[in-house]
Amino acid sequence: MADEWDRPLPAHVTTPLLTRITEQSMDEDYQQVALRKGTGDERPSGPARPRMVAAGVIAVFGVLITTAAVQTSADADITDASRETLIQRIKDERDQVEGQQRTIADLQDDTVGLQDALDVLTEDQAVATARQRRLEVATGYIAVRGEGVRITVNDPSNPRDTTQLVRDEDLAWLVDGLWEAGAEAIAINDQRLNGLGAIRNVGIGVRVNSLPVNPPYVIQAIGDTRTLQADLLDTTHGQQFFDLADQLGFDVNMQNDDGLQLPAARGPRLLHALRGTSGKPDMKNEEVNP
Amino acid sequence: MIAALGLLAGILLALFLQPDVPLGLEPYLPIAVVAALDAVFGGLRAYLDGIFDDKVFVVSFVSNVVIAAAIVYLGDKLGVGGQLSTGVIVVLGIRIFSNVAAIRRHLFHA
Repeated sequence: MADEWDRPLPAHVTTPLLTRITEQSMDEDYQQVALRKGTGDERPSGPARPRMVAAGVIAVFGVLITTAAVQTSADADITDASRETLIQRIKDERDQVEGQQRTIADLQDDTVGLQDALDVLTEDQAVATARQRRLEVATGYIAVRGEGVRITVNDPSNPRDTTQLVRDEDLAWLVDGLWEAGAEAIAINDQRLNGLGAIRNVGIGVRVNSLPVNPPYVIQAIGDTRTLQADLLDTTHGQQFFDLADQLGFDVNMQNDDGLQLPAARGPRLLHALRGTSGKPDMKNEEVNP
Repeated sequence: MIAALGLLAGILLALFLQPDVPLGLEPYLPIAVVAALDAVFGGLRAYLDGIFDDKVFVVSFVSNVVIAAAIVYLGDKLGVGGQLSTGVIVVLGIRIFSNVAAIRRHLFHA
Protein backbone atom coordinates (compact mmCIF):
# COMPACT_ATOMS: atom_id res chain seq x y z
CA MET A 1 0.00 0.00 0.00
CA ALA A 2 2.73 2.38 1.01
CA ASP A 3 4.66 1.43 -2.13
CA GLU A 4 1.77 2.54 -4.30
CA TRP A 5 1.75 5.96 -2.60
CA ASP A 6 5.48 6.36 -2.93
CA ARG A 7 5.50 5.63 -6.63
CA PRO A 8 5.66 8.83 -8.77
CA LEU A 9 2.47 9.76 -10.55
CA PRO A 10 2.30 9.05 -14.30
CA ALA A 11 2.98 11.92 -16.73
CA HIS A 12 -0.60 12.10 -18.08
CA VAL A 13 -1.80 12.89 -14.53
CA THR A 14 0.73 15.52 -13.57
CA THR A 15 0.93 17.39 -16.87
CA PRO A 16 -1.34 20.47 -16.98
CA LEU A 17 -4.26 20.16 -19.36
CA LEU A 18 -3.22 22.94 -21.72
CA THR A 19 0.32 21.62 -21.97
CA ARG A 20 -1.01 18.14 -22.73
CA ILE A 21 -3.28 19.47 -25.46
CA THR A 22 -0.38 21.39 -26.98
CA GLU A 23 2.02 18.47 -26.79
CA GLN A 24 -0.42 15.95 -28.20
CA SER A 25 -1.79 18.24 -30.86
CA MET A 26 -0.93 15.64 -33.46
CA ASP A 27 -2.70 12.35 -33.05
CA GLU A 28 -0.47 9.82 -31.29
CA ASP A 29 -1.63 7.18 -33.74
CA TYR A 30 0.72 8.53 -36.42
CA GLN A 31 3.71 7.94 -34.16
CA GLN A 32 2.49 4.55 -33.01
CA VAL A 33 1.85 3.40 -36.56
CA ALA A 34 5.26 4.71 -37.57
CA LEU A 35 6.82 2.79 -34.68
CA ARG A 36 5.04 -0.39 -35.74
CA LYS A 37 6.13 0.17 -39.31
CA GLY A 38 9.67 0.64 -38.10
CA THR A 39 9.52 -2.67 -36.29
CA GLY A 40 7.99 -4.28 -39.37
CA ASP A 41 4.72 -5.28 -37.74
CA GLU A 42 2.57 -3.39 -40.20
CA ARG A 43 1.64 -5.33 -43.24
CA PRO A 44 2.63 -3.43 -46.34
CA SER A 45 -0.22 -1.61 -48.03
CA GLY A 46 -0.44 -0.68 -51.67
CA PRO A 47 0.78 2.83 -52.15
CA ALA A 48 -1.72 4.00 -54.82
CA ARG A 49 -5.15 3.17 -53.37
CA PRO A 50 -4.75 4.60 -49.86
CA ARG A 51 -3.47 7.87 -51.37
CA MET A 52 -6.72 7.98 -53.28
CA VAL A 53 -8.65 7.42 -50.09
CA ALA A 54 -6.83 10.30 -48.42
CA ALA A 55 -7.56 12.48 -51.43
CA GLY A 56 -11.22 11.49 -51.21
CA VAL A 57 -11.31 12.49 -47.56
CA ILE A 58 -9.64 15.78 -48.44
CA ALA A 59 -12.31 16.27 -51.11
CA VAL A 60 -14.99 15.64 -48.49
CA PHE A 61 -13.24 18.24 -46.36
CA GLY A 62 -13.39 20.68 -49.27
CA VAL A 63 -17.08 19.97 -49.72
CA LEU A 64 -17.67 20.51 -46.01
CA ILE A 65 -15.77 23.75 -45.77
CA THR A 66 -17.30 25.17 -48.95
CA THR A 67 -20.79 24.15 -47.96
CA ALA A 68 -20.34 25.75 -44.55
CA ALA A 69 -19.09 28.95 -46.14
CA VAL A 70 -21.90 29.04 -48.70
CA GLN A 71 -24.46 28.27 -46.03
CA THR A 72 -23.12 30.96 -43.72
CA SER A 73 -23.15 33.57 -46.45
CA ALA A 74 -26.70 32.59 -47.40
CA ASP A 75 -27.71 32.76 -43.77
CA ALA A 76 -26.01 36.13 -43.50
CA ASP A 77 -28.33 37.43 -46.21
CA ILE A 78 -31.31 36.15 -44.28
CA THR A 79 -29.97 37.58 -41.01
CA ASP A 80 -29.31 40.90 -42.69
CA ALA A 81 -32.76 40.85 -44.23
CA SER A 82 -34.48 40.13 -40.95
CA ARG A 83 -32.33 42.77 -39.27
CA GLU A 84 -33.30 45.26 -41.96
CA THR A 85 -36.92 44.30 -41.50
CA LEU A 86 -36.65 44.77 -37.75
CA ILE A 87 -34.95 48.16 -38.14
CA GLN A 88 -37.62 49.18 -40.63
CA ARG A 89 -40.31 48.06 -38.20
CA ILE A 90 -38.69 50.00 -35.38
CA LYS A 91 -38.62 53.08 -37.59
CA ASP A 92 -42.24 52.59 -38.59
CA GLU A 93 -43.34 52.09 -35.01
CA ARG A 94 -41.37 55.17 -33.94
CA ASP A 95 -43.07 57.19 -36.67
CA GLN A 96 -46.39 55.85 -35.48
CA VAL A 97 -45.60 56.76 -31.87
CA GLU A 98 -44.56 60.22 -33.01
CA GLY A 99 -47.81 60.63 -34.89
CA GLN A 100 -49.81 59.44 -31.93
CA GLN A 101 -47.98 61.81 -29.62
CA ARG A 102 -48.77 64.64 -32.04
CA THR A 103 -52.40 63.53 -31.96
CA ILE A 104 -52.29 63.52 -28.16
CA ALA A 105 -50.93 67.06 -28.15
CA ASP A 106 -53.61 68.18 -30.61
CA LEU A 107 -56.31 66.51 -28.56
CA GLN A 108 -54.97 68.11 -25.40
CA ASP A 109 -55.14 71.51 -27.11
CA ASP A 110 -58.68 70.69 -28.18
CA THR A 111 -59.51 69.67 -24.63
CA VAL A 112 -58.19 72.96 -23.28
CA GLY A 113 -60.26 74.87 -25.84
CA LEU A 114 -63.35 72.84 -25.07
CA GLN A 115 -62.76 73.30 -21.35
CA ASP A 116 -62.67 77.06 -21.86
CA ALA A 117 -65.86 76.87 -23.91
CA LEU A 118 -67.43 74.73 -21.17
CA ASP A 119 -66.46 77.30 -18.56
CA VAL A 120 -68.09 80.06 -20.59
CA LEU A 121 -71.18 77.94 -21.15
CA THR A 122 -71.40 77.00 -17.47
CA GLU A 123 -71.25 80.67 -16.58
CA ASP A 124 -73.94 81.45 -19.14
CA GLN A 125 -76.03 78.58 -17.81
CA ALA A 126 -75.71 79.88 -14.25
CA VAL A 127 -76.80 83.32 -15.39
CA ALA A 128 -79.69 81.84 -17.37
CA THR A 129 -80.73 79.63 -14.46
CA ALA A 130 -80.75 82.61 -12.12
CA ARG A 131 -82.77 84.59 -14.67
CA GLN A 132 -85.16 81.68 -15.13
CA ARG A 133 -85.57 81.49 -11.37
CA ARG A 134 -86.40 85.19 -11.18
CA LEU A 135 -88.81 84.88 -14.08
CA GLU A 136 -90.47 81.83 -12.57
CA VAL A 137 -91.07 83.78 -9.37
CA ALA A 138 -92.21 86.96 -11.15
CA THR A 139 -94.52 85.17 -13.56
CA GLY A 140 -95.97 82.93 -10.88
CA TYR A 141 -94.80 79.79 -12.70
CA ILE A 142 -93.81 78.14 -9.42
CA ALA A 143 -95.11 78.23 -5.87
CA VAL A 144 -92.92 80.37 -3.61
CA ARG A 145 -92.51 81.00 0.07
CA GLY A 146 -90.66 83.56 2.10
CA GLU A 147 -90.97 86.64 4.24
CA GLY A 148 -93.33 89.41 3.21
CA VAL A 149 -96.37 91.44 4.06
CA ARG A 150 -99.89 90.16 4.65
CA ILE A 151 -102.57 92.84 4.07
CA THR A 152 -106.13 92.02 4.98
CA VAL A 153 -108.73 94.30 3.36
CA ASN A 154 -112.36 93.96 4.34
CA ASP A 155 -115.55 95.80 3.44
CA PRO A 156 -116.75 98.39 5.92
CA SER A 157 -118.67 96.78 8.77
CA ASN A 158 -121.87 98.66 8.00
CA PRO A 159 -121.75 100.06 4.45
CA ARG A 160 -124.29 102.64 3.37
CA ASP A 161 -124.54 101.14 -0.12
CA THR A 162 -122.63 98.93 -2.51
CA THR A 163 -120.38 101.82 -3.59
CA GLN A 164 -118.67 101.53 -0.22
CA LEU A 165 -117.62 97.94 -0.87
CA VAL A 166 -114.11 97.03 -1.94
CA ARG A 167 -113.91 97.05 -5.72
CA ASP A 168 -111.52 95.60 -8.26
CA GLU A 169 -109.76 98.89 -8.91
CA ASP A 170 -109.12 99.39 -5.19
CA LEU A 171 -107.35 96.08 -5.02
CA ALA A 172 -105.59 96.84 -8.29
CA TRP A 173 -104.20 100.05 -6.80
CA LEU A 174 -102.95 98.16 -3.78
CA VAL A 175 -101.38 95.48 -5.96
CA ASP A 176 -99.77 98.03 -8.26
CA GLY A 177 -98.41 99.81 -5.21
CA LEU A 178 -96.97 96.57 -3.92
CA TRP A 179 -95.30 95.83 -7.28
CA GLU A 180 -93.87 99.36 -7.26
CA ALA A 181 -92.63 98.91 -3.68
CA GLY A 182 -90.62 95.92 -4.80
CA ALA A 183 -92.82 92.93 -4.05
CA GLU A 184 -91.56 89.80 -5.82
CA ALA A 185 -94.76 87.75 -5.77
CA ILE A 186 -98.34 88.65 -4.88
CA ALA A 187 -101.44 86.58 -4.29
CA ILE A 188 -105.00 87.58 -3.39
CA ASN A 189 -106.88 84.94 -1.42
CA ASP A 190 -104.36 82.38 -2.65
CA GLN A 191 -104.85 83.44 -6.26
CA ARG A 192 -101.37 84.19 -7.54
CA LEU A 193 -101.11 87.29 -9.72
CA ASN A 194 -99.04 87.51 -12.87
CA GLY A 195 -99.00 89.29 -16.19
CA LEU A 196 -101.89 87.27 -17.55
CA GLY A 197 -104.10 87.54 -14.48
CA ALA A 198 -106.63 90.25 -13.87
CA ILE A 199 -108.75 91.73 -11.09
CA ARG A 200 -112.27 92.48 -12.30
CA ASN A 201 -115.62 93.33 -10.94
CA VAL A 202 -118.61 91.34 -12.00
CA GLY A 203 -121.58 93.08 -10.43
CA ILE A 204 -120.50 93.67 -6.88
CA GLY A 205 -118.31 90.57 -6.70
CA VAL A 206 -114.56 90.69 -7.30
CA ARG A 207 -112.91 88.15 -9.55
CA VAL A 208 -109.25 87.46 -9.53
CA ASN A 209 -107.89 85.49 -12.47
CA SER A 210 -111.56 84.97 -13.49
CA LEU A 211 -112.30 83.22 -10.20
CA PRO A 212 -114.58 84.83 -7.63
CA VAL A 213 -112.98 85.83 -4.34
CA ASN A 214 -114.86 86.90 -1.24
CA PRO A 215 -114.03 89.39 1.47
CA PRO A 216 -111.98 89.57 3.54
CA TYR A 217 -109.38 89.92 0.81
CA VAL A 218 -106.01 88.66 2.02
CA ILE A 219 -103.20 90.07 -0.11
CA GLN A 220 -99.90 88.31 0.44
CA ALA A 221 -96.80 89.95 -1.01
CA ILE A 222 -93.35 88.48 -0.72
CA GLY A 223 -90.61 91.06 -0.43
CA ASP A 224 -88.23 92.74 1.99
CA THR A 225 -90.16 93.01 5.28
CA ARG A 226 -87.93 95.87 6.43
CA THR A 227 -88.89 98.20 3.57
CA LEU A 228 -91.96 96.83 1.86
CA GLN A 229 -94.62 98.49 4.09
CA ALA A 230 -92.90 101.88 4.15
CA ASP A 231 -92.18 101.78 0.39
CA LEU A 232 -95.82 100.88 -0.25
CA LEU A 233 -96.97 104.03 1.55
CA ASP A 234 -94.53 106.04 -0.55
CA THR A 235 -95.89 104.88 -3.90
CA THR A 236 -98.62 106.80 -5.76
CA HIS A 237 -100.90 103.81 -6.04
CA GLY A 238 -100.34 102.83 -2.42
CA GLN A 239 -101.21 106.31 -1.22
CA GLN A 240 -104.29 106.36 -3.44
CA PHE A 241 -105.44 103.06 -1.97
CA PHE A 242 -104.93 104.05 1.64
CA ASP A 243 -106.61 107.47 1.10
CA LEU A 244 -109.60 105.68 -0.40
CA ALA A 245 -109.64 103.13 2.38
CA ASP A 246 -109.71 105.95 4.91
CA GLN A 247 -112.52 107.72 3.10
CA LEU A 248 -114.67 104.64 2.60
CA GLY A 249 -113.84 103.05 5.95
CA PHE A 250 -112.26 99.81 4.69
CA ASP A 251 -110.98 97.57 7.40
CA VAL A 252 -107.27 97.34 6.47
CA ASN A 253 -104.81 95.32 8.51
CA MET A 254 -101.15 95.13 7.45
CA GLN A 255 -98.49 93.02 9.11
CA ASN A 256 -95.20 91.35 8.32
CA ASP A 257 -95.07 87.59 8.07
CA ASP A 258 -91.93 85.46 7.96
CA GLY A 259 -93.59 82.39 6.50
CA LEU A 260 -95.74 83.35 3.55
CA GLN A 261 -96.60 80.59 1.12
CA LEU A 262 -97.87 81.51 -2.31
CA PRO A 263 -99.19 78.95 -4.78
CA ALA A 264 -98.24 78.89 -8.43
CA ALA A 265 -100.39 80.85 -10.82
CA ARG A 266 -103.01 79.09 -12.87
CA GLY A 267 -101.58 78.15 -16.19
CA PRO A 268 -102.76 80.23 -19.09
CA ARG A 269 -105.55 78.70 -21.06
CA LEU A 270 -104.10 78.30 -24.53
CA LEU A 271 -106.58 78.65 -27.33
CA HIS A 272 -104.39 78.53 -30.41
CA ALA A 273 -101.00 77.24 -29.38
CA LEU A 274 -100.52 73.48 -29.46
CA ARG A 275 -98.02 71.42 -27.57
CA GLY A 276 -95.24 70.01 -29.70
CA THR A 277 -95.54 68.85 -33.29
CA SER A 278 -95.02 65.12 -33.08
CA GLY A 279 -96.97 64.71 -36.31
CA LYS A 280 -99.94 62.90 -34.80
CA PRO A 281 -102.99 64.10 -36.70
CA ASP A 282 -105.43 63.19 -33.91
CA MET A 283 -103.61 65.63 -31.65
CA LYS A 284 -104.18 68.49 -34.05
CA ASN A 285 -107.40 69.90 -32.62
CA GLU A 286 -106.83 68.86 -29.04
CA GLU A 287 -106.58 71.71 -26.64
CA VAL A 288 -103.73 71.38 -24.24
CA ASN A 289 -103.78 72.92 -20.84
CA PRO A 290 -100.30 72.62 -19.39
CA MET B 1 -0.21 16.91 -54.99
CA ILE B 2 -3.05 14.46 -55.23
CA ALA B 3 -4.37 15.83 -51.90
CA ALA B 4 -4.41 19.37 -53.29
CA LEU B 5 -6.28 18.12 -56.35
CA GLY B 6 -8.77 16.39 -54.06
CA LEU B 7 -9.30 19.61 -52.12
CA LEU B 8 -9.81 21.59 -55.33
CA ALA B 9 -12.22 18.94 -56.66
CA GLY B 10 -14.20 19.03 -53.43
CA ILE B 11 -14.46 22.83 -53.44
CA LEU B 12 -15.53 22.89 -57.09
CA LEU B 13 -18.02 20.10 -56.50
CA ALA B 14 -19.60 21.96 -53.59
CA LEU B 15 -19.71 25.22 -55.54
CA PHE B 16 -21.23 23.44 -58.51
CA LEU B 17 -23.81 21.40 -56.63
CA GLN B 18 -24.56 23.90 -53.86
CA PRO B 19 -25.76 21.18 -51.48
CA ASP B 20 -28.53 22.31 -49.17
CA VAL B 21 -27.81 21.49 -45.53
CA PRO B 22 -30.89 20.33 -43.64
CA LEU B 23 -32.00 22.82 -41.01
CA GLY B 24 -31.50 20.29 -38.21
CA LEU B 25 -27.83 19.72 -39.11
CA GLU B 26 -26.98 23.36 -39.71
CA PRO B 27 -25.66 24.10 -36.18
CA TYR B 28 -23.22 21.15 -36.38
CA LEU B 29 -21.67 22.02 -39.72
CA PRO B 30 -19.28 24.76 -38.46
CA ILE B 31 -18.02 22.61 -35.57
CA ALA B 32 -17.57 19.67 -37.97
CA VAL B 33 -15.54 21.92 -40.25
CA VAL B 34 -13.30 23.00 -37.36
CA ALA B 35 -12.81 19.33 -36.36
CA ALA B 36 -11.98 18.43 -39.95
CA LEU B 37 -9.56 21.32 -40.10
CA ASP B 38 -7.79 19.92 -37.03
CA ALA B 39 -7.54 16.47 -38.64
CA VAL B 40 -6.22 17.96 -41.88
CA PHE B 41 -3.55 20.02 -40.14
CA GLY B 42 -2.60 17.01 -38.02
CA GLY B 43 -2.24 14.95 -41.19
CA LEU B 44 -0.17 17.65 -42.87
CA ARG B 45 2.17 17.81 -39.87
CA ALA B 46 2.52 14.03 -39.86
CA TYR B 47 3.25 14.16 -43.58
CA LEU B 48 6.01 16.70 -43.00
CA ASP B 49 7.28 14.63 -40.08
CA GLY B 50 7.41 11.70 -42.48
CA ILE B 51 5.04 9.53 -40.45
CA PHE B 52 1.83 10.13 -42.43
CA ASP B 53 -0.50 7.19 -42.67
CA ASP B 54 -3.68 7.13 -44.77
CA LYS B 55 -5.66 4.92 -42.43
CA VAL B 56 -4.86 7.02 -39.37
CA PHE B 57 -5.74 10.18 -41.28
CA VAL B 58 -9.10 8.85 -42.49
CA VAL B 59 -10.01 7.48 -39.09
CA SER B 60 -8.97 10.64 -37.25
CA PHE B 61 -10.83 12.80 -39.76
CA VAL B 62 -14.10 10.88 -39.51
CA SER B 63 -13.91 10.41 -35.75
CA ASN B 64 -13.06 14.09 -35.18
CA VAL B 65 -16.02 15.26 -37.24
CA VAL B 66 -18.47 12.78 -35.74
CA ILE B 67 -17.36 13.30 -32.13
CA ALA B 68 -17.38 17.09 -32.40
CA ALA B 69 -20.87 17.06 -33.90
CA ALA B 70 -22.02 14.52 -31.32
CA ILE B 71 -20.73 16.60 -28.40
CA VAL B 72 -22.55 19.66 -29.68
CA TYR B 73 -25.69 17.61 -30.30
CA LEU B 74 -25.54 16.24 -26.76
CA GLY B 75 -24.97 19.75 -25.40
CA ASP B 76 -27.99 21.00 -27.33
CA LYS B 77 -30.09 18.26 -25.82
CA LEU B 78 -28.83 19.11 -22.32
CA GLY B 79 -29.26 22.84 -22.80
CA VAL B 80 -25.52 23.61 -22.69
CA GLY B 81 -24.90 23.47 -26.46
CA GLY B 82 -23.30 26.89 -26.55
CA GLN B 83 -20.85 26.17 -23.74
CA LEU B 84 -19.86 22.75 -25.11
CA SER B 85 -19.34 24.26 -28.57
CA THR B 86 -17.03 26.82 -26.99
CA GLY B 87 -15.09 24.05 -25.20
CA VAL B 88 -14.69 22.02 -28.40
CA ILE B 89 -13.64 25.08 -30.39
CA VAL B 90 -11.07 26.04 -27.73
CA VAL B 91 -9.48 22.58 -27.63
CA LEU B 92 -9.48 22.15 -31.41
CA GLY B 93 -8.22 25.70 -31.82
CA ILE B 94 -5.25 25.08 -29.55
CA ARG B 95 -4.43 21.87 -31.43
CA ILE B 96 -4.71 23.61 -34.79
CA PHE B 97 -2.44 26.42 -33.63
CA SER B 98 0.27 24.09 -32.29
CA ASN B 99 0.06 21.89 -35.41
CA VAL B 100 0.36 24.93 -37.64
CA ALA B 101 3.34 26.07 -35.54
CA ALA B 102 5.01 22.68 -36.10
CA ILE B 103 4.27 22.87 -39.85
CA ARG B 104 5.74 26.38 -39.90
CA ARG B 105 8.92 25.07 -38.22
CA HIS B 106 9.18 22.38 -40.89
CA LEU B 107 8.58 24.71 -43.82
CA PHE B 108 10.58 27.73 -42.76
CA HIS B 109 12.91 26.13 -40.22
CA ALA B 110 11.99 28.90 -37.85
